[in-house]
Amino acid sequence: MIPSDSEALDALAAEHVLGTLDAREAREVSRALPTHPALREAVAAWEARLAPLADLAPPQAPPPELWGRIEASLGARPEAVVTPLRPGRLWKAWSLGSTALAAGLAAFILLRPAEEPRMMTVLLTSGDQPAWLVEAERGGLRLASLNPRPVEPGRVQQLWALPPGATAPVSLGLIPEGGQASVAPGLVRPEPGMLIEITLEPPGGSPTGRPTGPILFIGRLAPVRGS
Amino acid sequence: MPDTQPGADAALLLRGIAAGEAGALRRLYDAQGARLFGMAVAILRDRDAAADALHDAVLKIASRAGQFDPLRGEASAWLAAIVRNAALDLARARGRETPTDDPTLGDSPVEAEALERLAAAQQSGRLRDCLAALEARNREGILLAFVHGLSHAQIAARLELPLGTVKAWIRRGLVRLKGCLA
Repeated sequence: MIPSDSEALDALAAEHVLGTLDAREAREVSRALPTHPALREAVAAWEARLAPLADLAPPQAPPPELWGRIEASLGARPEAVVTPLRPGRLWKAWSLGSTALAAGLAAFILLRPAEEPRMMTVLLTSGDQPAWLVEAERGGLRLASLNPRPVEPGRVQQLWALPPGATAPVSLGLIPEGGQASVAPGLVRPEPGMLIEITLEPPGGSPTGRPTGPILFIGRLAPVRGS
Repeated sequence: MPDTQPGADAALLLRGIAAGEAGALRRLYDAQGARLFGMAVAILRDRDAAADALHDAVLKIASRAGQFDPLRGEASAWLAAIVRNAALDLARARGRETPTDDPTLGDSPVEAEALERLAAAQQSGRLRDCLAALEARNREGILLAFVHGLSHAQIAARLELPLGTVKAWIRRGLVRLKGCLA
């Protein structure tokens, strides 16, 4: 039984996080968590309080064969099917040149007089190569490709934003052909910490309203300092 | 320049995992594996069992990555909680409630030196000060439970105290800790 008394509830949450509950009690708490907001909040608060203690355990390299075991278990699960992102050689060559370009564009933005707090990010590939410059502008977003490359035939690129604290990303639409895109104000309010990502989706965009394809590019909106 | 280093950011990697981005889970494992495996070893004191716990935890991380909410806490703490729970579940399944005189216990310091290792970060510093303000055996009980996964019965055996006393002390210590951190 999960106690209704708030003091007893907090004590239970504390011992759950500390790890001293026995198997039966621990199972009860784990079962109740998804449907018990007060318990969940108390557990989260205790996790935050005690979190630094976890790092008292000295790090140790896991056995080298463990990753293979994990991969095998993941492969056995149907939901783990992912499309690998394989940037071609040409793409790599583009990327190399684009780092300098990204730096130049960022400097250009920094030097402009700012009438509103400036926010920007550079969306990176999974290999940390800069791909898109994103700038918040008058409540909307402006995107400029740093290295335009052809989209996989029969697929489209979809833009998403995940505001801090949101649980599901918001679709900002499909990226048109060419190296430019803009998002009208009102669709999403740009704010620091907002994740922006571009995923690869079937024609017409994700059928589920959530990203279904691999993330091609991702970055986090941040205030431009010194502007 | 703004922060654009997803390779170094566990929160971003979790987002990538949630969206099915290839390679994101491997990068997270490479970045956090040793830290998380160390936690599992401290709780289970057995590398094979710790590998089982980390295996289970990584599968959970892969399927729950979308539930991580950056506003509610640090990604590193979220990952640690999943690994600790997997290790504790295994410890429970292995019959932790039996008091033991495990000779390998206490290989790692759990007392004063351990507290010194709490990082200089403000949050850790406050926790260190609040733990230091607790009675020594009270503090030791909390560290033995959290870091080394000991049950009430095992802590009682180790501290040579009655089980009921240990339970009451730990409960009281947690209440004091909460008050001190508030």
